[in-house]
Amino acid sequence: MASSRLEILNDGGLRHDARRPYELRSLSLELSTHPNADGSSTVSQGLTTVSASVFGPREPKQRAGSVHDKASVVVEVGVAPWAGAREVRRTRGDKRLLEIAAAIRQTFEPVIMTHLYPRSEIAVHIQVISADGGILPTAINATTLALVDAGISLIDYVTSLSLGLHLTQPLLDLSAPEEADLPTLVVAALPSGKVTLAQMETRLHVDRFEEMLTLGVEGCGVLKTEMDRVVKDRTTRVVERMDKVIQGRITGD
Amino acid sequence: MDIDQQGDLGEGSSTNRGIVSPGEIITSSKEYMRGHGTYVDEEQVVSSLSGTIERVNKLVSVKALKQRYTPEVGDLVIGRIVEVGSMRWRVDANARQDAVLMLSSVNLPGGVQRRKIESDALKMREFLAEGDLLVAEVQAFFGDGAMSLHTRSLKYGKLRNGQLLSVSPRLIRRLKSHFHHIPPPCGPSGVDIILGLNGLIWVSVGTSVESREGGEGFDAEGVYSNKNDDITPEGRQAISSIASIIKILAMYNIPLSDILISSAYEWLSSQREDDEDGISAEMGKRMVEDLTGVQVTAAA
Amino acid sequence: MMTTAGPSHPPITILKRTRADLGLAQNKFLKKTAKGKVLSFLRERYVRDDIPCGFEGCDQCRDLPGYKPVLQKGYRHTKIDPHYLVIDTNIVLHQMDLLEAFPPDLALIIPSTTIRETRHRSLPLYNRLQQLVQDDERKVWIWWNEERRETATHAEENEGPNDRNDRAIRLTCHFYNQHLPIGHPLIVLLTDDRRNRELAEAEGLVCCNTKTYVDGLVPEVRQDLVDLVVGGVDAEVVTRGRRVYEEYLSQDVLNAGIKTGRFVQGYFNASQYNYLEGTVSGILLAGRQAMNRSVQGDLVVVELLPKAEWRAPGQDVVDADVDQRNDDVENEVEAKEKIQENVGRPVPTGKVVGVVKRNWRAYVCHLDRSSLLPEAQLASLSQQTVFATPLSVTLPRIRLRTRQAPTLVDQKILVTIDSWSPFSRYPDGHFVRALGKVESKEAEQESLLLEYEVPYRPFGKAILNCLPVEGDSWKVPPKGDLVWRDREDLRDLIVCSIDPPGCQDIDDALHARELPNGNIEAGVHIADVSHFVLPNNPMDSEAASRGTTVYLVDKRIDMLPALLGTNLCSLRPFVERLAFSVIWEMNDDAEIVNVRFVKSVIASKEAFTYEAAQNRKDGPLKDPLTQSIRLLNTLAIKLKAARMRAGALSLSSPELKIHLASSESAEPIDVEQKQLRETNSLVEEFMLLANISVAAKIQETFPATAVLRRHGEPPKTNFEALQDILHKRRGMTLDVSSSKALAESLDACVDPQRPEFNTLVRIMATRCMLAAEYFGSGSVSKEAYRHYGLATPIYTHFTSPIRRYADVLVHRQLAAAINYTPLHPSLQSKSHIEKTLNVVNKRHRLAQMAGRASVEFYVGLALKGAARREDAFVIRTFRNGLAVFVSALGLEGLIMFKDIEYDAENYIITVGGVTIGVFDRVRVEVGVEKDKNTQRGKVKMVMIEPVNQTL
Repeated sequence: MASSRLEILNDGGLRHDARRPYELRSLSLELSTHPNADGSSTVSQGLTTVSASVFGPREPKQRAGSVHDKASVVVEVGVAPWAGAREVRRTRGDKRLLEIAAAIRQTFEPVIMTHLYPRSEIAVHIQVISADGGILPTAINATTLALVDAGISLIDYVTSLSLGLHLTQPLLDLSAPEEADLPTLVVAALPSGKVTLAQMETRLHVDRFEEMLTLGVEGCGVLKTEMDRVVKDRTTRVVERMDKVIQGRITGD
Repeated sequence: MDIDQQGDLGEGSSTNRGIVSPGEIITSSKEYMRGHGTYVDEEQVVSSLSGTIERVNKLVSVKALKQRYTPEVGDLVIGRIVEVGSMRWRVDANARQDAVLMLSSVNLPGGVQRRKIESDALKMREFLAEGDLLVAEVQAFFGDGAMSLHTRSLKYGKLRNGQLLSVSPRLIRRLKSHFHHIPPPCGPSGVDIILGLNGLIWVSVGTSVESREGGEGFDAEGVYSNKNDDITPEGRQAISSIASIIKILAMYNIPLSDILISSAYEWLSSQREDDEDGISAEMGKRMVEDLTGVQVTAAA
Repeated sequence: MMTTAGPSHPPITILKRTRADLGLAQNKFLKKTAKGKVLSFLRERYVRDDIPCGFEGCDQCRDLPGYKPVLQKGYRHTKIDPHYLVIDTNIVLHQMDLLEAFPPDLALIIPSTTIRETRHRSLPLYNRLQQLVQDDERKVWIWWNEERRETATHAEENEGPNDRNDRAIRLTCHFYNQHLPIGHPLIVLLTDDRRNRELAEAEGLVCCNTKTYVDGLVPEVRQDLVDLVVGGVDAEVVTRGRRVYEEYLSQDVLNAGIKTGRFVQGYFNASQYNYLEGTVSGILLAGRQAMNRSVQGDLVVVELLPKAEWRAPGQDVVDADVDQRNDDVENEVEAKEKIQENVGRPVPTGKVVGVVKRNWRAYVCHLDRSSLLPEAQLASLSQQTVFATPLSVTLPRIRLRTRQAPTLVDQKILVTIDSWSPFSRYPDGHFVRALGKVESKEAEQESLLLEYEVPYRPFGKAILNCLPVEGDSWKVPPKGDLVWRDREDLRDLIVCSIDPPGCQDIDDALHARELPNGNIEAGVHIADVSHFVLPNNPMDSEAASRGTTVYLVDKRIDMLPALLGTNLCSLRPFVERLAFSVIWEMNDDAEIVNVRFVKSVIASKEAFTYEAAQNRKDGPLKDPLTQSIRLLNTLAIKLKAARMRAGALSLSSPELKIHLASSESAEPIDVEQKQLRETNSLVEEFMLLANISVAAKIQETFPATAVLRRHGEPPKTNFEALQDILHKRRGMTLDVSSSKALAESLDACVDPQRPEFNTLVRIMATRCMLAAEYFGSGSVSKEAYRHYGLATPIYTHFTSPIRRYADVLVHRQLAAAINYTPLHPSLQSKSHIEKTLNVVNKRHRLAQMAGRASVEFYVGLALKGAARREDAFVIRTFRNGLAVFVSALGLEGLIMFKDIEYDAENYIITVGGVTIGVFDRVRVEVGVEKDKNTQRGKVKMVMIEPVNQTL
C-alpha cells in the first residue's frame, strides 16, 4: 500500500487541517484553573492543551536555589500519559522535556521582575495535557497567563508561536504533522517586538530567517491582543464584583 | 492600549475602573511617582501586573487581583512551623520567604514574665514542632526581608480544635479584630474564626468569652497541647458548614468579613433541610447572589 | 476574527471554532507501524465557508480566494445537456486514459476526496490527475469538499472508509445542486460502483456509469473514446477457466511475513534472456507460477522456497515470441513449458506471494498478428480480443479488446495494463492510442520517448512567457545596465569554444594566457543559464522535471526552450554573451595557485570543431588564439597525467556516430565509431577541473545542500565473474582493491596480437561499475562524496547548464556562494534538493538509455539495407549459444546453436568440433530479421567463422 505522506499545502492553498497559511489554530485561554497554585492557566491551541501552575514567590524548596538579590525561576515540564506526544518520552529526565523547561526558564527570566522578590523562588509547573504540535509555544503562553494570574510583576506579556517554511511559503502555528515535515521556528516575543526566544532545529538561510522572525513577532502580537482581552475581561469582572460587595456592605451597615 | 485613559487614572467609570495589564502605560513619570506593581520605562509609568490602579496623591501603584501575601508590621497571620532551629522556629506564613519566630518572642508555660532559661532551648520541639499551626503577629523585618513574628499575647499561639482554609490574601482586609466568634445556635458552643491577613483562615470550635479574652490567666497545659478537645458532632458540623461557606465566598472572590459569614450561615440554615449535609454548587451560587446581590453566572 | 494589517501577506488571524463545528473538529485514525504496533492518530481539522465553487458568475463565491470561472455554461457533448461531471476515485484509478481523452471543454468537478484517495492509492495516477487539473485548456475544477462546511463529513458508525468517501462525493453533488442558481447545468455523478449509483439515485441525484456515459456522447466524440473505457459494466469477476496463478496473500500476512523475515520484499526484475525467469533482490524466480503475475518494476513480496527446490539460473536463451506463438487469446490452452534440465550451482529460489505496488504504465506494443481472428483481418469493426506484445522483452504480452484491430496491425500502439486475474495467463489491458506505422521515423521516435518516459511535449505558453520579451533580438545591454552589476567585463579575452561538429548549444568556452609573473591564467566560461532561468517559475519547474536534454540520433529533446539553448545561452562566436567564469592561476606544472569564480560578459572569438581546433593547434599559425589553444593543450596534458596518477579510470563504452543522408530521410548512410582527438581531451580536462573547483566551493559554502555528483566504489563482488573469466581464459588478474589498482591492472590486460582486447575488457569492467549519481551533500557522509571513476574526493556538474538541470542548480548555488545573489530558499531545503535530484538522476539514466536505443534503431535501419560481416567478440556463453559484441556497430547479439557442448566452468562451448570461449574473436553476419507476428525488426546475428552457420 502506498503510504502517502501528508500534503503540507494543497493546490487550493489549504493546509492539511483546512487552514490557510496565516491562520492560527482555534485558541482557548482559561485563568485560575488550578485552585491550589498561586496562579494557573490552561491554554489550548488547536488540539494542543497545556496547563501551567505557578507557585510563589516562595521560600526556595532547595536552599541552594536561593539568590540574594532576586528570585530564582524553576520550571518543570510533565506530559500526561494520554497526551499523544510522540516527540517526547514521558519520563521525567527526558532530554526534550528538559530542553523545553530550559527554554521556558530562559524566556521568562528577563521578563519577570525578579529583583522584586529576593531570596525567593518562582516555580512553574507545566503539564502537557494533549499534544498536537507546538508544545513549547503553548507552554510559554500558558506560563505568561499563569504568572499574570499569580500577580507576579512582568515587564510585559510574552506570547509565543511556532512557524514553518514550506518551500517559500511560511506557515503559522504548526500542527504535529507539519512540525515533523518542515523546518520549524519557535518565536517568543514581547509586544514591543523584542524577541525573548527564537529556537530552531533545522538550518535556514539568514534572509528567510529574518522574514520568518518578523512574521513570528507579528503573529505573537495577534496572540497578545487575544490574551489581553481575556485577562482584562476577567479582571474587570472580579473587580466589579468586589466593588459591589464592599459598597453594598457599606450601605447595608 | 488605553493610553487615552492616562488623564483620569483610577477615576473612570466603574466598568473599567483603571484596570491595566502588564506592559500597559499608566501615565508619565514626570508627574507621578511609581509605586508597587509598576515600573518606569522611557519616562512612562508602566504597569507590571494585571489589576487596578491605586493612587495616593502622586503615588501610583497597581494592585493585582491576587498575589502572594506581602507582610506589614502588626499584621495578624497564621503559619505553619517548617523547621526548628537554634533559638528560633522557621514558619511558612504563605509569604515570599519563610517567617522567623524567635524563642524570645513566645510566651512559655510558667507565666508571662518567666525568664527563658537554657533548658527551654532544648525543649523547643515540645512547644512547637514541625507541622504545628500557629497564629502570630508580625513584629519586625530582618535585613533580608523575612518577617519576624511574635506570639506574646494570650490571643496568639498554637492552633487546635479546628480546620485550616486558604484563600487569596486580597479577600481579607485589615479590620479592627481578626478574631471572630459566631455564637450558638451555630454549634453548641459557637464557632471561632481567625482571619489571617496572609490568606489563611482558622475555623475552630467556639470557646468562652473569658478564654478568648485570656482573662483568667495563662493556661500552661492548654497552650502547647497537641491534643484536640472533645468536640460534639454538632460542633464539627458547624465548623464544616462555616468552612464551606468561606470556600464558596472565596471561590466567587467575595471579600470576607464576620458579618458576611454569619449572615451566610443564617441564610443557609433558613434554606436547608435538617438532614442535609454540605452545600451544592447551585445553592452556593444562590447564596452568594442573595447575600451580595452580585450576579454570578460563572465562577471567576 | 481579529486581524492585523500586514503589507506583504494576508492578515494573521485566529480561526475560531463555533460550537456547531465541534463534530467536525478532528479526524481519528489508526496506523500500523512497520513493527506492527498500532498507533492512534488524532488530527485536527477546520471547516470553512470561503471555498469557491468555480461556477462562472457565481455571486457568492466570486470574491473568495482562489476563485476562477472554470465551470462555464453550455457545452454540448450529449443529448441531455449541458451538464457537469462529478467523478469518484475509481474513475480516476481505472479510467485515467479516458479522462485524458475527454474533450477539453467537458466540465469536470473533482472532489478533494477523490484526489486524496488517488494520491493514497497510486502516485503515478495522482501525477497524471494533477496534470489534468493544471491544464488551463481544460475545464476541471477541484472542489475541496472536506474543507467546506456544507460538504464536510465525519465518520459514522459502521461506515467503512469507502462508504464514507462515496457519501462525501454524493454530498458534493447535492451541494452543487443547491448552490448553483436555478436552471444550472445538470450535475452528473460518474461512477462505476453500482452500490454508489443506487444510493445516489435513491437520493435523487443523476448518475451514470462510464460505459453508458460514453455511449451517450455525440458520435464524433464517442468514436475516440469508446476503446478507452476499461472494464465495461461493473467489471464482473472472471472466474471461468482454470486457475493459472496462486492468489496473493493478504496485506496483513505479507506484512507479518516481511517482519519475521519469512518473506522478502523487492523490485521485480525480469530476465533479459529468458521470459520465464526473473529476480527479486537476488532471489531467482523460475517459471510463470513463481513469477506470479509480476511485471518489470513491480514491488513484490517473495517467499523463499526450501533449499531442495533451489535451482540454477537458466543457461538457455528462451525467446517469448517463439515460445508463445501458439497461445490462444480466448481460450487458455496451456502451452507446454519445457521444464529445463537444470545445471549449474543452485541459487536461492523463491516465488512471488504478493504485490505491494504495481509499476504499471503505458507500454509501446505491437499487435500480435497471429492473435487476430482470420476473418477479422478483412476490416471488420467488431470488437475482438487480441494480444499486444510490448517492445521491451522484459514485459509480458497484454490481452486487450478493441474494435480497431485491423487498422492497428501495422502500427505501434500504446497499451496500458488494467488488471491481471489469477485465472488468466496474461494481463488485461486497454488500447490508449496509436503512434504510427511500424518503422516510420515518427512512430519509432515517439515510442522510444514513451518507452523511456522522456517528456517531449512542446513547451507550453506559461513556459515560453518566462523567456526574455526581446526574443532572439536580445542582446547584452550596454555597460551600466543592471545586468552588469557585479559582472566582470571579459570581452577582450581571447575566448573560443571547441565542440563536436554541428553543435548548436555551446555551453562552454575557454581561454588561457601567460601572466606577467610567469604563471598561466586559464579560464572556463559557462553559459549563464541561471540568469535567464529564475527559480520556481514555470520554465524552471519544467526544466527540473525534464532534468536533461535528450539526444537521439536525429532529434534533440531540449530541456530548455530553443531560444535559450541554441541562442541566448549558447556561447556563439562574435557575439557578446553572459557567462559564469571559473578562472585559475596555474604554475607551469598545471598546479592551481589560485581560483576565482565570477559572473562575466564574454565575446567568443571562434567556435571550433574538435577537428578544426586540432588542425589549428598543429598548424603553423602563431596568433594569440592559436597560442591560447596550445597553452591549454599543454596544461591539459599535465592535468590528465596528474589525474591518471591519482588513479582515474579510463573506461570504455562503445560510442557510435550515425551519419544521416539528410535530415529528411531516415536512412542512415554509415555507422562509425566516434574518433577521439587530443582536443577532445583538452576540453574534457578543463571541464573536469572546473567541476571539481566548483564542487569544492559550493560544498564549503553549503555543507548541507550543495548539489554534487558521486560515483560509488563498486562492491568487489561485482567484479567476481569478470575476474574469474579473465583468470580462466587468459590467466590475467584484475586487482579491484582501489580505483588506482584497477586502472593499473586494466592497463596490463593487453593482448599484443589483438589491440581491441583491452577495449573489450574495459567495456566489460565498465559494466561492473555502479552508476554515478547526483546527490545533496547533506544526505551522505563526507567520505561517500568520492567519485570513483575520476578518482577525485568531490565532484559536481557545472559545465553544461543548457542541457543538464543539476548544473543549473549548481550555478545558482555558486552564484550565492560568491554573494552574487541570495540563495533561493528552495535550494536551502535538503528535502527539496533530494527530491529534485532524484528526478534528475532518473531522467539522466533514462535519457542515456533512450539515446542508446535510438542508435540501435538506426543501426538496425542501416543493416536492413544490407547485412554486414563484422568481427565480434564473445562476451558470454550459454548452454545453447553465445552472446557476442560487435564493436564496429556497438551492438550486442545472441547466436544460437542446435547441438553444442557447454562447459560452464571454463566459459567454453564446443560446436561441430570447434571450441569457442569468452574473449574469442569470431566473425558474424549481422542482418535484420522481421518477426512475422510482431512486426518487430530484430537484429539477427549468424556466425560465419570459425563455424559457418549459413551453410
